[in-house]
Amino acid sequence: MSLEPPLVFVVDDDASAREGIEDILQSVGLPVISFGSAREFLHGPRRDAPGCIVLDVRLPGTSGLEFQKILIEAGIRLPVIFITGHGDIPMSVMAMKSGAIEFLTKPLREQSLLDAVNAGIEADRLRREGSKHVSELRQRFELLTPREREVFALVVTGRPNKQIAAQLELSEMTVKVHRSQITKKMRATSIVELARMADRLGLSAEKS
Amino acid sequence: MALLAFLTTSIVTTVLAARIRRTSEEELRNTRAELARFARVAILGELTASIAHELNQPLAGLVSSGDACRRWLGNQPPNIERANQSLERIVRDADRASKVVERVRGLAKNTPPQKAAVSVKEAVREVIVLTRGELEQNQIRLEEQFADDLPLIWADRIQLQQVCLNLVVNAIESIKDLRGGPRNLLVRAEKDASDSVLLTVSDTGAGLDSDHTEDVFNAFYTTKPEGMGMGLTISRSIIEAHGGRLWASGNVPRGAKFQFTLPRCREGAI
Repeated sequence: MSLEPPLVFVVDDDASAREGIEDILQSVGLPVISFGSAREFLHGPRRDAPGCIVLDVRLPGTSGLEFQKILIEAGIRLPVIFITGHGDIPMSVMAMKSGAIEFLTKPLREQSLLDAVNAGIEADRLRREGSKHVSELRQRFELLTPREREVFALVVTGRPNKQIAAQLELSEMTVKVHRSQITKKMRATSIVELARMADRLGLSAEKS
Repeated sequence: MALLAFLTTSIVTTVLAARIRRTSEEELRNTRAELARFARVAILGELTASIAHELNQPLAGLVSSGDACRRWLGNQPPNIERANQSLERIVRDADRASKVVERVRGLAKNTPPQKAAVSVKEAVREVIVLTRGELEQNQIRLEEQFADDLPLIWADRIQLQQVCLNLVVNAIESIKDLRGGPRNLLVRAEKDASDSVLLTVSDTGAGLDSDHTEDVFNAFYTTKPEGMGMGLTISRSIIEAHGGRLWASGNVPRGAKFQFTLPRCREGAI
């Protein structure tokens, strides 16, 4: 299986530090784009690929932590690896709480950086696959008729056809037909799988 | 005879007085230089964290480039071109780190003041760099404006740098604890009407008491808990010893503004 090539972003205002990080990542074959400020990153070229951001905590203008908030608001969900020149413990705690995957101190240990970046890329890959899967499921769900959706919501609660039929005032036969339509349209192989799909689509919340 | 005695006495007195005056002037100069050095070392002390940060950045670059270089060479086949690029950056970063050390050493060194033709832009920029960590840590935005037509000035480079550092560190202090509002620092150098260099350090910090802007230059005047209250007094004496002026005023819309002039280097002085 060929994986989509990753892309790592480096955001650090200090040229020495930034270029050094860029060099290490490139030396292990990772594509990198780097920026000298948060603003440059937000306005710069970005390719939609699995990746992560290596981000200096202290940037002129916008702090790394503020930047992380801006990213979340902008819907950019790349994992963040914070780096800092100051061994700043309160800030590292805040960073980890706000969802950073790692907090590294400069000068960076090569292996820690590579491990963190690889973990970031992997996490992003999983998230992207997950969300791709959900959007596919959503497309399938769109194919269901309103009645089928009603039946779907009840089927996944594990209720027998007879009960569903009674609740929706349909014949048991009709429920069966709906049910096979639903399974076909959703490309599910079992009730269990249908239930899992409903879960990912957030339907389990709607039923109650 | 009496006349001769009187003449001799008065000549001796005059000569002695001149000698005494010379000695005390020299002593005074020495004391002033010594005091200035103490103040410089005190500022460096305040900037320890910032200077460490300024050294750590190129060192971080060095370490990463070194690691990368080893990897480029370990690749099959080795990537000599990229390894060379890493090495070039290693040399550049090492050079940058050693320049920081050189500057700090220059400021801490005990050498008698020595005047020479100085580029204000170069001298000022060299020391502002030492405050960068402090600026970043306190989220202060620094703007530097240097006019293109700045004349060289005749000054002791270290003392000029000391005055600038002092003003910049004061500005940072006054912004540091603010909650809300802009956090800006401006350092501007331009040529004034009399062909002197006019340097302005203005901030959006807590500002000065407008009726007592002169008080800040008094010895032992301080608003900092650990301050000696000598920084601005010494700064003013340095600028005046260079034939310039140093004064303070309010910054619009908020904060403080410190300005000084230094006469340009006259033809033939170089």
